[in-house]
Amino acid sequence: MLLATDVHRHFEGMHAVDGVSLEVPRGQITGLIGPNGAGKSTFMAVLAGTMPATKGTFVFDGRDVTRMPAYRRARLGLVRTFQLSSEFARLTVLENLLVAAPRHRGESLLGALLGPGYWLADERRIVGEARRLLKRFGMSAKESDYAGNMSGGQKRLIEIMRALMLHPRCLLLDEPMSGVHPRVADEIQGYLHDLRRDGLTILMVEHELHFVEQLCDSVFVMAQGKLIGSGTMASLRRQQEIVDAYLVG
Amino acid sequence: MNTYYAANLLIFAGVDIIACIALNLQFGVSGIVNFAFIVFQAAGAYTAAVLSMPPDTAADYSFQIYFGGFNLPFPLPWIGGAVAGALLAVPIGLVVLRNLRSDYQAIALLVTSIIANTVINNARPWLNGAAGLALVPQPLQDQIDPATDTYFYFYIGLTAICVGLVWFMAARIVNSPFGRTLRAMRDQELAATALGKNPVALKMTMFIVGGAIAGLSGAILVGFLTVWAPSTWLYPETIILFAAVIVGGRGNNLGAVLGALLVPVGFEEVTRLLVNLNIGPPNFIPAMEWVLIGLFILGFLWFRPEGVRPEGHKVFPEGFESGVRVLGEHD
Repeated sequence: MLLATDVHRHFEGMHAVDGVSLEVPRGQITGLIGPNGAGKSTFMAVLAGTMPATKGTFVFDGRDVTRMPAYRRARLGLVRTFQLSSEFARLTVLENLLVAAPRHRGESLLGALLGPGYWLADERRIVGEARRLLKRFGMSAKESDYAGNMSGGQKRLIEIMRALMLHPRCLLLDEPMSGVHPRVADEIQGYLHDLRRDGLTILMVEHELHFVEQLCDSVFVMAQGKLIGSGTMASLRRQQEIVDAYLVG
Repeated sequence: MNTYYAANLLIFAGVDIIACIALNLQFGVSGIVNFAFIVFQAAGAYTAAVLSMPPDTAADYSFQIYFGGFNLPFPLPWIGGAVAGALLAVPIGLVVLRNLRSDYQAIALLVTSIIANTVINNARPWLNGAAGLALVPQPLQDQIDPATDTYFYFYIGLTAICVGLVWFMAARIVNSPFGRTLRAMRDQELAATALGKNPVALKMTMFIVGGAIAGLSGAILVGFLTVWAPSTWLYPETIILFAAVIVGGRGNNLGAVLGALLVPVGFEEVTRLLVNLNIGPPNFIPAMEWVLIGLFILGFLWFRPEGVRPEGHKVFPEGFESGVRVLGEHD
């Protein structure tokens, strides 16, 4: 589904990502783990196009997206979330989801000037879609609240729902459980299970290894910008160099 | 209050309302800190002037030097002013909005404003330099005598029509899904990009729209004043408009209108009246005016950052998706 080959990202001599190659299989949840500063989030940003790669190629669903800007990759279905909450704080929860909906007639200047008569049908359709998603994620009661007033866990859910509004084919999740109450983290885990069952491809950076163990079909390990191993969590625990580099404790 | 004073006040109010709505679309809704806003108003004013004036070789106009002089009838100079503001936004936007972070964009635009004013001030062959342009023909001055009250009412009416048109356009933009996308980009540009939005295209669009509206405001102003010079569009004029949008309420069109009435019109008028009290040295009151405007901005940013009229809180009614007609919006 997603193939990254020999990816480098350098910051004035510092090699944050140093020759990483990996393939994310279709319809699976793939984990990306490693110690702090390993380059995982940088790799995710480069993969999504929100940060340019110094070198490397990306093929998404058979199409070379190496030179494609982030917004075009997202339109193709390669959608990322962020390590730090990135909700649209002064928009309501529902509006956060509506923003993400693609192909809305009212989303151009001309469409806006033509008025609601031109775009209201699209608006109704996506409000219905967003409300179904809010119901599925148990957040219907919050739809009219400002997203900026939500808790850390709710903001994570908003990000995931927002990404789902784009009908992604591959979701790049950057630490979805980070800073989230354990109960909400369990809920998010359940939702991710459901999404995999629906056939969505997911690449997930996560520090909470028990979630990785339960969710991910396969896992890549990064340290100091390089890929140092891959396999199931069980197989990784048997590799001494990986245990030494990351898994101790 | 005589008719001239009232007309002056109303037309300036109209021009400031138009300018504040445009700045609100750029700054309040889209997050573009356009510190060069006044340059676009000036572009509209100069363009409307040279389109309506005869060539500088004409008998009464030979004391000034300027390019063009096309003697075009109303409303072509006003349309030209709006087009000039939009066209000027293209090169400036392409340079400033593509690769710079938003704080650097603000600095680059401020520098642009200072450079533009300095160049026009010193390059006399283009637009008569520091002396500026004078005897700019007024709209339909051949049909209605500009020295009469009728003409003042006519001009107030023209300005009001333009305010209405700009308000209508701005309301359509702000209350549409396009406006929602602009607000999302303003709040989290990177996240909006990751959702398939092209921030450069969105910002360029609003930069051009705002430039056109600013150009129109300049055209209206020069048609009333009949003069236009670099001293009328120094960069602090932009700061006053920013103060108006911040005080009125960023992201809210009605807030922009209130801000225009409170700051450039109300605040300046009050301090102008204070000049008559002869307090302190001659420049004391004008200097205090700037101090008070600065304190006003700081006070609002500190105590009420959302402004007098905060951005609307959009609520979709139950059953909206199945055809309830009302688009719920309340503050």
